[in-house]
Amino acid sequence: MKAGHASLSRRLLFGAAIFITLALVVAGGFIGFALRRFITGQIDQRLDSQILSVASAIETGPGGQPRMTRDVDGPPFNRPESGWYWQVLDTNLKSRSLGAENLAPDLKKERLDEPRPFPSDQTGPYDEPLHLRIQRRHVGPSTVTIAVSAPRAALNGPLREAMTTLAISLGALGFALLLAIFLQVRLGLRPLRRLRSDLADVAAGRLERVPAEQPEEIRPVVAEMNTLLDQNAEGLARARRHVANLAHGLKTPLTTLSLALAEPGRDQDGSLRKLATLMDRRIRHHLGRAKAAAQDGPARAHTKVLRHIADFGEAFEKIYAGKDVKFDMDVPAELTVACEAQDLDEMLGNLLDNAFKWSRGNVKVSALEPGADAVIGIEDDGPGLSDGELPEAMLPGHRLDESVPGYGFGLPITRELAELYGGSLSLSRSALGGLKAELRLPRRTLNHAP
Amino acid sequence: MRVLLVEDDRDLADRVAQALRAENFAVDIAANGEDGQHLGETEAYDVAVLDLGLPKIEGTAVLRAWRAAGRSLPVLILTARDGWSEKVEGFKAGADDYLIKPFRVEELVMRLRALVRRAAGHAEPRIHCGKLMFDSQVGTFELNGLPLRLTALEWRVLSCLALRKEVVVERGDLLERAYQGDAEVDSNSLEVIIGRLRRKIGHGMIETARGRGYRLTAAEA
Repeated sequence: MKAGHASLSRRLLFGAAIFITLALVVAGGFIGFALRRFITGQIDQRLDSQILSVASAIETGPGGQPRMTRDVDGPPFNRPESGWYWQVLDTNLKSRSLGAENLAPDLKKERLDEPRPFPSDQTGPYDEPLHLRIQRRHVGPSTVTIAVSAPRAALNGPLREAMTTLAISLGALGFALLLAIFLQVRLGLRPLRRLRSDLADVAAGRLERVPAEQPEEIRPVVAEMNTLLDQNAEGLARARRHVANLAHGLKTPLTTLSLALAEPGRDQDGSLRKLATLMDRRIRHHLGRAKAAAQDGPARAHTKVLRHIADFGEAFEKIYAGKDVKFDMDVPAELTVACEAQDLDEMLGNLLDNAFKWSRGNVKVSALEPGADAVIGIEDDGPGLSDGELPEAMLPGHRLDESVPGYGFGLPITRELAELYGGSLSLSRSALGGLKAELRLPRRTLNHAP
Repeated sequence: MRVLLVEDDRDLADRVAQALRAENFAVDIAANGEDGQHLGETEAYDVAVLDLGLPKIEGTAVLRAWRAAGRSLPVLILTARDGWSEKVEGFKAGADDYLIKPFRVEELVMRLRALVRRAAGHAEPRIHCGKLMFDSQVGTFELNGLPLRLTALEWRVLSCLALRKEVVVERGDLLERAYQGDAEVDSNSLEVIIGRLRRKIGHGMIETARGRGYRLTAAEA
């Protein structure tokens, strides 16, 4: 996954997690180091004071041998095998805790010259890890080396305890920080989520534009989006206008031409008139395609069916006023299809025109809502089509009856449009006796926009 | 029958007018929406042919203005756009029929005659009045089953009376529907035409309502 495509909140959270962990680990390291120094320092102080008290209790005997003037084995130096030991090296002067054993550390000779006791970690006589402090001191005329030890456990125990507490607190701190950042990211990105739902509304046609009330940071983006939407709408409107102007510009002279050709003696064999008719058909066909291409897109469209059918009912009752057709309509008031109003008009107009043209007195429109689709059934009681004629009716430019005016593109264009919206057109026999055209279109359920 | 033709294309308007006049219509042409709206609101027409793609004022706007002004004359709209949306818009604005360009003049004439007949309240195309029969669809008169030959002016006056048979038609109304807007009308010419018609179909069929107008009637005095 490229960083540019990852989610913003994941990026923010991931980055924060890395930085927090890094900071906590470094802080833990420093604090641990300080704790170790503190605890070691405490033990060292105790050992150093034991060195002092041992040194002060040594005197040089008559034979030049060092010896103790008093007992310096306060607890814990008197507990056997405790790890708390002392010994004047290379003598028999040692703590009771050592028993028969001796402290025999590896000496780093060069460090014996330092004025302060130096530390050394070694294994003791009972194989226990020991922390030693060693110092060479002058006692009277002679020089003695005193080693004092504490069990490493006396250091590590408290250190481990402190470190555990530290780790737990740092862990809790890290968790709290991550949680805070998570909440902040969610809160901070909420306008983006709202923007997304706004955009979805725009795409679905529930909103015209993206609302301008947005946080300062995304306002420019929204402004750009709206500009783009406006440009798009403008482009569409322009394309539609061009198509309309083209239609008008081509067809008016074409009408004049065919009127001129109809004058006596102008077109003896009718071939020119045929050409003019052909031109008209071609123009019609391609204008229809161009109009379909200039549509807004199925995703945004939603049109209520009832009003359009009712408008058509009134229009056709006027157009076919001489026929006295009874127009029945059974369509749910709220039925809405995901379809441009113009295209729905195109499909309904073609189908209803056919129905009125062929009917003997009854045209019926009904609508069903099976699943995600709407099925609009348009029936007439006219002669209908035979089983053989049904498929032919969908072929472009093919008219089954040349004696009734029409251009033969109605049904194929209706089917093409329906398919463009993911729907379909099917023809069958009506219970009324004539043709039944079933127009299936995707339904749009509107969750009402604010 | 007097037609208002609102069409901006001069060539087409002239040809359509010529063809309509050959079918005994009196035709006034308006070349833009503004003139069309004015003529439609001020003059008496039996029917109007209205192009939807007009300069100055759109066809549907002209139609809406006519309807808003209470003009109920039947209107046939001409459109270059096949789209049903435009047609439905036209019908919602008050149109009564439509034709798509290009169209045939015969088709236009048939539609116009049907519109005029229905506007006059006749469901059947053949209108009988005594021994006179007017086929409003074909545009012919028969007297006792034989074709009646009429001049354009005579035809217009008689068709107007036939469509409103048994009713007194105002003199001014008859004049307006018989003559084109640009015609020089002699105040006595209507009496001359009525006289000629009476000689052709019988004196009793056209009654004079003194000071008002004329009435076509089957109840010959």
